[in-house]
Amino acid sequence: MADRFESGSLSARFGRSFVTLVLALTLLFLAFPVVMTFVSSFASDWFGVLPTGFVTVGNWQDVIFGTGVGADVAVGSSLAYSTGLALGGVVINLIVGVPIAYAVARYDFWGQDWVNVFAILPLAPGIILGIAFLRTYPDLSTSGIALVIGYSLLKAPYMVMAVQSSFQSMDLQQIEESARSLGASWPRTFLTVIVPNARTGIIAGSIISWTLAAAEFNFSYIVYSRGTPPLAIFLFNNITNASFLNAAAAVSVFFLLIALVTITLQIIGNRGSVRRV
Amino acid sequence: MATDHVSMGARLSSAARNTLKSLVSPTSERQREIRRIVSLCLPFTVLLLFSGVFPLAEMFRISFSESRLVTEGFTTESYRTLVADPYYRNIAFNTLWFAAATTVASISVAVPVAHALEKYALPAKSVILTVLSFPNSLPGIVAAFMIIILFGNTGVFTNAVAFISGQSSTDIAFSTGVLGLFFAYIYSMIPRALLLLRGTYSEVNTDAEEAARSLGATPLQTFRYVTLPQIKPGLIGAFILVFRTGLAIFGTVLILKGLLVWTLQIDRELAQGFNIAQASAMATVWFVFVFGFTILMLRYTTAEVSI
Repeated sequence: MADRFESGSLSARFGRSFVTLVLALTLLFLAFPVVMTFVSSFASDWFGVLPTGFVTVGNWQDVIFGTGVGADVAVGSSLAYSTGLALGGVVINLIVGVPIAYAVARYDFWGQDWVNVFAILPLAPGIILGIAFLRTYPDLSTSGIALVIGYSLLKAPYMVMAVQSSFQSMDLQQIEESARSLGASWPRTFLTVIVPNARTGIIAGSIISWTLAAAEFNFSYIVYSRGTPPLAIFLFNNITNASFLNAAAAVSVFFLLIALVTITLQIIGNRGSVRRV
Repeated sequence: MATDHVSMGARLSSAARNTLKSLVSPTSERQREIRRIVSLCLPFTVLLLFSGVFPLAEMFRISFSESRLVTEGFTTESYRTLVADPYYRNIAFNTLWFAAATTVASISVAVPVAHALEKYALPAKSVILTVLSFPNSLPGIVAAFMIIILFGNTGVFTNAVAFISGQSSTDIAFSTGVLGLFFAYIYSMIPRALLLLRGTYSEVNTDAEEAARSLGATPLQTFRYVTLPQIKPGLIGAFILVFRTGLAIFGTVLILKGLLVWTLQIDRELAQGFNIAQASAMATVWFVFVFGFTILMLRYTTAEVSI
């Protein structure tokens, strides 16, 4: 039996190795430059195949404290500014995303599929929305409010999806009916029973949409006019203007942020699954 | 005829009034449920109108503007330029073939990867999954930087090849060419395609695959005739998602500049003389095309397409 499979076609003999090779190459392609960026940010030179002159923190110092030339702002102010803007976006996302996720998960209604499509696919990408914002809200652009509103629309799908996955693991109808039969009004049921039960998804959605809002470049690039640059613009200035290894350090700051977020999400995810069991 | 219109209008307005009344003070349980659904969807609708529909409508109006600094007059000049000028037609052609080529390439990579993840016993699977989803949170400019690290003038790959072949590294570097841009696109596209394909792959009926194998089908035949038809919705979904992504890429090409695509030209219209009417016309064409494409293609798939 096994013999027949082994001696058979080309795909039986090489199929598995081929698929494994594709996987290995993909992993290498995606992970290798990330690792090299992080490693080279501690190097002082990179002229040959591999960076040399380890270990120096000069590049990191330039990024963290600023250099005074080229991309002269320190990362701290950009990071703080983007943190604030993205937090504003998350607050709006919570207000708009949790209810619509509940509507789609709990009720059957006419046009439900299309509501869902609009909730999980952004209407327009960053660059198109940026062009639309330029003249529509010119006064808001300079204050950063336009960025907050734009981020919230662009990243709302991530919140909706995360909260939906939480809702899908709950018996919503039963929970709602139990609470109602015990005398809670419907708004009270929603706010004090449904929402707290979906907190895993809500926290995960907040973290994801916060990170992606802080990383949003296309929209920020078009709408941002002056003042402290958001984090993505800071990265862009570093990649285009600063020395190569400084740029590597700036991008590494961003990697660390994403790594932190990924770890946090995994901790939350595990705790959530333990509680559900 | 006229009375018909009147009674029709009257009927419509009374229906609207009744709907509104049932929303404000519902009398049946069904009406109460509708009120809940409407109030749950209301915040999102407000955001969508205020920050999506209204700005896009304004952008549409600006695309017909005769004056540059204020929106006034009506001219289809910008659209006529887009249709008549071979410069813009060339950009449109570039954008479409490049997005299509990168989409097909990244899906062809993502299918075997999803296959391996689902079927094979892999060591350190959670690490593999993290690596494969990590680029989803990276903005396009970082994807561009990754390509510079690999294939730029001082890139690892470039210098390794230069070291072996003895050529100058600047002759080998291709990060700012079309090929470099190609790799930068698929750097952000493969993880997107995987997002959808992994979901579809987990629902594939393995019994049918095992039956096909035990009836003597080779692995390739099994994949072609048993697995592929089952993952078709996922493939179409991935195509919609990744093609949309490809058309929307801007930061990557702003840094690498390998090919003049639609989004880059939109930025150039603004950067070179703030020609916002032309930029708005281009953005409108983009929006209408992608919106129509998405609505049309979603009919052909049951997979849930989300970013």
